[in-house]
Amino acid sequence: MRRLLGKLAGLVLGVAAMASPAAARDLTVVAGGGALQDHMRRTLFSTFAGGPVVDTAYDYNVGPIRAMVQARNVTWDVVLVEAPDLIRGCEDGIFERIDYNVVNRAKFMPGGATTCGAGAIGWGVAVFYDEGRNPNGPASFQEFWDTTRFPGRRTLRRGARITLEAALMGDGVAPADVYTVLATPAGQARAFAALDRLRPNLVFWTGGQQPIELVNSGEVAYALGFVGRTANGIRAGARYNLRWSTLLYAYDSWAVVRGSANAAAAMRLIQHITEPGPVTELTKLWPINPATASVANDPEVRARNPLMMTNHQAGGLEINTEFWLEYGPDLEQRFAAWVNR
Amino acid sequence: MRRTNWLAALLIAPLMLLILGSFLLPVGFALFTAVADREVAETLPRTRAALVAWDGQGLPPEAAFAAMAQELGQALEDRRIGDMAQRLNFERTGMRGLLLRTARAANRLSAPYATSMVTLDARWGAPETWLLVQRAGGPVTPLYLLRAMDLQRAAGGGIEAVAADEALYRMLFWRTLGISLVVTALCVILAYPVAYTIARLRAPWSSIALTLVLIPFWSSVLVRSTAWFVLLQREGPVNQAMMALGLTEVPVQIVGTRIAVVVALVHVLLPFAVLPMHSVMKRLDQTYLRAAASLGANGFQRFFRVWLPMSLPGVLAGGAMVFLLAVGMYTAPALVGGDRDQMVAWFIAYFMNREVNWGMAAALSAYLLAMTGAAIGLARVLTSGIATSGGRA
Repeated sequence: MRRLLGKLAGLVLGVAAMASPAAARDLTVVAGGGALQDHMRRTLFSTFAGGPVVDTAYDYNVGPIRAMVQARNVTWDVVLVEAPDLIRGCEDGIFERIDYNVVNRAKFMPGGATTCGAGAIGWGVAVFYDEGRNPNGPASFQEFWDTTRFPGRRTLRRGARITLEAALMGDGVAPADVYTVLATPAGQARAFAALDRLRPNLVFWTGGQQPIELVNSGEVAYALGFVGRTANGIRAGARYNLRWSTLLYAYDSWAVVRGSANAAAAMRLIQHITEPGPVTELTKLWPINPATASVANDPEVRARNPLMMTNHQAGGLEINTEFWLEYGPDLEQRFAAWVNR
Repeated sequence: MRRTNWLAALLIAPLMLLILGSFLLPVGFALFTAVADREVAETLPRTRAALVAWDGQGLPPEAAFAAMAQELGQALEDRRIGDMAQRLNFERTGMRGLLLRTARAANRLSAPYATSMVTLDARWGAPETWLLVQRAGGPVTPLYLLRAMDLQRAAGGGIEAVAADEALYRMLFWRTLGISLVVTALCVILAYPVAYTIARLRAPWSSIALTLVLIPFWSSVLVRSTAWFVLLQREGPVNQAMMALGLTEVPVQIVGTRIAVVVALVHVLLPFAVLPMHSVMKRLDQTYLRAAASLGANGFQRFFRVWLPMSLPGVLAGGAMVFLLAVGMYTAPALVGGDRDQMVAWFIAYFMNREVNWGMAAALSAYLLAMTGAAIGLARVLTSGIATSGGRA
């Protein structure tokens, strides 16, 4: 029965493959969309000399990429992926190994060049609030959890990752110990207990623009939101106080989808879009945090973008990818059960 | 005779192929995914074979240790270890770390593996670890179907409930059922007078009214749900109107509540209730009403004893349609609902897209399918009862 099902499925896929245009596809690069991707198109993709590049957006859901690799109908070539998805996808053979004969390994920051991923840009979350509404606000997670000194509603990300780290720090755990504590049942209970305490004053966000909207409309007093969006708000004139001391950050990478017919061109594209020249151009349009070391450490770039995360990363906590790969499924389940209770 | 049968079969063949290809195969595949357990068998075939004969007492033979070490190293090298690691880690947190650590150390390990692996990580010296791998040998597992009902296999054999702080899905199914029933009831109550009025309107007006019901159909669910978000938000028109009317002093939180979910779902699904009711009422023979009137029935009796029983099949069809669609709704609750308003479909999407755990997504889908199947069955039983009593009336 199973063999028959497999044959039939193969037949259906075969017919679908025949129906789809087998002709050469333009090199396709996929990132997170929005204004950042518009800027990437201008500075990174359109300056590639190795042929036309089309770009499309996705919402960082890797399910569709796995499906296209399994169906051997790969329509994306280069994808901007988050660290946990990169590592798992590499172990599962969803992404090609980066050809470091084409991509210059030496130009990345430490840890930026991995088996399947070439470091792209960093992102982070940190506490911010509108100084126009609240002259004083929490400068640490312990103060974020202190509802007597700082009354008002708060917003955190709906999900275990980032939120449980914040909860432990809010309960007084030192940033360096967060993942050791969170690996123990007692530490996990402690994190959820801290969330319980804050719950009456807590709303959750799911999309990256929500913290900004919630703060702007006054629905919440204090928010933990993406620093890139907060920084752009500040540059556009908003009176946010962005508390860099609460930074949690990670780096996204460029990866090549396995089975891509354009794999060779994809490697050349990755080499190009991580080069100091184009990346420096991008930093002029958007305060990104490049994984290309010479740009990240360029005093001129850093002076031009005081709100670059790179300028404030030293005191932040790097989100531990391996921890979340191992404990993520269990903790996300418990978080979902908690949030729905 | 035989030739006509053959011809008939040929004529319905396209339909049968369509049903097979677009319904039976995908649904069958989804149901199979809910119980399939292929990761360990595919990635660790020799380990699995070495564990088949093991009785579960003490530790497995050295051959199993050796096969595990070699196959883990090979799987890491071939980049196909992730699925299997995730599968075992889903059943017991920490397995992923153990497997990857062992795979990375594989070429440093040496015989006897039963010693070197336990030295590397003491968990290899625990029978539970090996029992977990043995049980995951496939080809089928109740793991996902159990988890989707907040159950798990106990260490000793039987089935037990998961820890209270991890229980989620049973509550989720009750919530989905509750919201769907409320939405169905509201849709039926709201749609009935509409369908009744349209059915009794004269020629041009009835089709105009029907078009008005159909217009929302032409915009997507996403657009209509977003519109509700705009209307109901804190500084939106609904709150502004309530404040202008003096009903409330400060804006009321509507977005992110159960009320918003029900309102948006009722709006999205209302046409699905109106249309079946209308099509049944349109075909009702008006002479019954005149006959009832001539026998002395007043308006009240004409409606409740003649019109309502005859239109009930339409009510049931519309209600069943709304219920079936409400049970699987994803967009509207995700947009206007809060933390405690998400339905089963939200978690199916979560497991498909984020966790990439298709077994769990399929298991939740299977239960959802069973729920809708039960609803269809119930509706059928009810309609057949009404059809006979309606015939007598």
